[in-house]
Amino acid sequence: MPIEFDQVGYTYIDPKSRKRKARRVERGQGASERGKWGTDPDAIWALREISFTVEDGEFLGVCGHTGSGKSTLIQHMNGLVHPAEGRVLFDGKDMADKAVAARVRTSCGMVFQYPEHQLFAETVYEDVAFGPRNMGLSADDVDARVREGLSSVGLDFEELHEKSPFELSGGQQRRVAFAGVLAMRPKVLVLDEPVAGLDPKARREFLALIKGLHETGLTVVMVSHSMEDLAELCDRVLVLSEGRRLLLGTPDEVFANAELLKSVGLAVPAPQALALRLRERGFSLNRGLYDVEGLAADLADELAPCLAARFEEAGKR
Amino acid sequence: MSEVAVFGQYWAGDSPVHRMDPRVKMLLSLAVMVVVFCAQGWLGLGACAAFIVGFFLAAQIPISQALRSIAPLLFLVVLTALLNVLFVQGGEVYFQWWIICVSEEGVTRAAFVACRLFLLLMSASLLTLTTATLDITEAFERLLAPFARIGLPAHELGMMMGIALRFLPQFTSELRTVYRAQVSRGATFTANPFKGGVRSLLALMIPLFTSAFRHAETLSSAMDARCYHGGVGRTRLRELSLGRLDAAGVAAVALMLAAVLACNVLAAGIL
Amino acid sequence: MAKPFVEFDHAGFTYDGQRFVFEDLSLTIPQGQFVCILGGNGSGKSTLAKHVNALLVPDAGVVRTFGCDTRDAEHTYFIRSNAGMVFQSPDDQLVASLVENDVAFGPENLGIENPELARRVKNALAEVGLQGFEKHETTALSGGQKQRVTIAGVLAMDPAILILDEASAMLDPRGRAGLMRVCRELHEAGMTIVMITHFMEEAAQAQRVVVLDSGCVRLDGTPGEVLSQAAVLAELNLDVPFACRLSLELQSRGIPVATCITESEIEEELCRLNSIR
Repeated sequence: MPIEFDQVGYTYIDPKSRKRKARRVERGQGASERGKWGTDPDAIWALREISFTVEDGEFLGVCGHTGSGKSTLIQHMNGLVHPAEGRVLFDGKDMADKAVAARVRTSCGMVFQYPEHQLFAETVYEDVAFGPRNMGLSADDVDARVREGLSSVGLDFEELHEKSPFELSGGQQRRVAFAGVLAMRPKVLVLDEPVAGLDPKARREFLALIKGLHETGLTVVMVSHSMEDLAELCDRVLVLSEGRRLLLGTPDEVFANAELLKSVGLAVPAPQALALRLRERGFSLNRGLYDVEGLAADLADELAPCLAARFEEAGKR
Repeated sequence: MSEVAVFGQYWAGDSPVHRMDPRVKMLLSLAVMVVVFCAQGWLGLGACAAFIVGFFLAAQIPISQALRSIAPLLFLVVLTALLNVLFVQGGEVYFQWWIICVSEEGVTRAAFVACRLFLLLMSASLLTLTTATLDITEAFERLLAPFARIGLPAHELGMMMGIALRFLPQFTSELRTVYRAQVSRGATFTANPFKGGVRSLLALMIPLFTSAFRHAETLSSAMDARCYHGGVGRTRLRELSLGRLDAAGVAAVALMLAAVLACNVLAAGIL
Repeated sequence: MAKPFVEFDHAGFTYDGQRFVFEDLSLTIPQGQFVCILGGNGSGKSTLAKHVNALLVPDAGVVRTFGCDTRDAEHTYFIRSNAGMVFQSPDDQLVASLVENDVAFGPENLGIENPELARRVKNALAEVGLQGFEKHETTALSGGQKQRVTIAGVLAMDPAILILDEASAMLDPRGRAGLMRVCRELHEAGMTIVMITHFMEEAAQAQRVVVLDSGCVRLDGTPGEVLSQAAVLAELNLDVPFACRLSLELQSRGIPVATCITESEIEEELCRLNSIR
């Protein structure tokens, strides 16, 4: 079920006062109020002219600075936020329609930043069951969903289901929160910085978990600050800057634009950045996108002949 | 992120009223309210209105902003007016149906009370529009300081108020996030409270409480680490001092009181 | 060697009286050093940080800060006023709504009078690159700016040592870079810095790196010595710096590069090899 963004614009100011402001602009006052962006308190537009489609089964990465509109963008995907301009279509149907939006809620699972902060129930079981119960499922179905949700995040149902979620470690709490969303059996999983604040071990485990979920056929949209993670996991990457779409394409295509990304204060993955600098200093390195292994292999190929020649020379002497 | 004006919102500026000592402003705004209450007739109320408009001009706050800031409380004005219309009887009867009776005296009384309440709200909003919340807490704390001798924890009350104000916007944004997260999980907050509504409400309130405790734990460590040990021996970055502006403010309010009293006497004399 | 500022002498600590977070920890931090403490969750690194300024005191052994036993309540005030601490979540440690009031909170508690107080607030904000933010509301700042305000609030107390307890964990890359720049500048001006982190690129910029593993010092040395120990770091579930991973990959392919820890080092190393042909 593709999610299509059609010329979406969003503003924090309610449409009425926006009209008032627009009139003022027409009268020649407050003209400077336009064109202010990002974290500026006077900012009017959080998103502007955004068009793209989340395709079935893809892994889409979203990156951009704090205040670039990432969080606002993904909250359009399950109808939590409605565009001020343009349309968001889920499976070809406009989400402005309440019946469509209600259906989308269960097909599009949204995991917020620090999802463990939203845990509330007395037991892990009750917390995970919250979503399925809201869907009006029977007790048996709810039970099946809870078991399924917990097992898909790698937690042991027997061991944990009667515990209080607040007794668990931070990493486990986050898994429970994940399970609560997965128990609704969404088709699309939207993640807002799912590994923020985790230590390296937990971070790696979580990314592996997300990768596994995607491989089972789930469409995944992930917001992240880590270009390395995006390059490794995503089919496509969407880069936002000041509420607009800056780049959209495969990691190869996006991270070839090191200069453009730098101009808006974003980096490219470390191996790619090093490869680009080395290219400027006389290495050929002609792949589109480098990871550590690829870079090591190409560097070794390039350096081996001249090193061999040097050893030969040294041998002759 | 919401730009909707709320009662008590600060309107940044650098007018003489903004620059006045917050303690004086706090006391004077209380005084203005008392004066408004003292006004006996339409003449006195008119004088009050004139002075309050004058104060807003001095504060360089557009009247539209002032009206917007009290808009959420205007229902109080309407409610009081309605009650007066219904319960005060006398004079010519304009309209009668069942137990509802609208009379001349009721309408006059309602109009008068509504105007008075409106002016009271305006004078209260003048204080909050021209004084940052922090200055209000500080003024509050300092005005209470003399009572510390009889055991009133003035410093602690001020500190509590300050921290509450500091965390208010944060809790608002956290509440919004939790709300959206639970709505994403199919929670409904308008539905029948006996059919999942209570659970939804818990899903909203419990995360908010746990987050408050989490904040409180770190905050107390952080305050310890920064050597907080109560009000004793603490200095202040901002020292409040009275100036010419404050004298002018006191004079203006005194003048207002005199004018209103004169109007009262005048009105009484004529009647 | 400069005199020790912080000294853990066979220190042990337990939260519940049974399981020790660390049992026999000995560590000395001299004046003027920039030391990074690495470790996974549960390694005891945050507990260690809270011992430096007597927020926690050891159950066994001794911790001395500026030569004073932290268990002695008489010294607590002296230690805390000279050992400033920044916590993980900026939202939980800002006390006031306005930037200048928050920065002034510490020195106000110390009883610093004006005009010295106002001077300190102004200087502290300048030191973290937030001049002119005095009247801003703290809630309207970005995460990185908030964290710099909390550092300014600590600096205004004129501390001799700055402890950062995972202060960068919740920041975005730009906020982290800004925080690190401020720390480097402070260190160059003579500040002793103890930084708890799990970001390798931050550790690479320190003078000394200590790796903790279940309450014990596992590695201790210069960033070059510690961060090149890829096998140990991997075993402790820590990240291995990118430059180090690349060096090892190249070495396994028969290229004689030195084991580097920063990207500029490996870049120079590769260019040197390339220029020989």
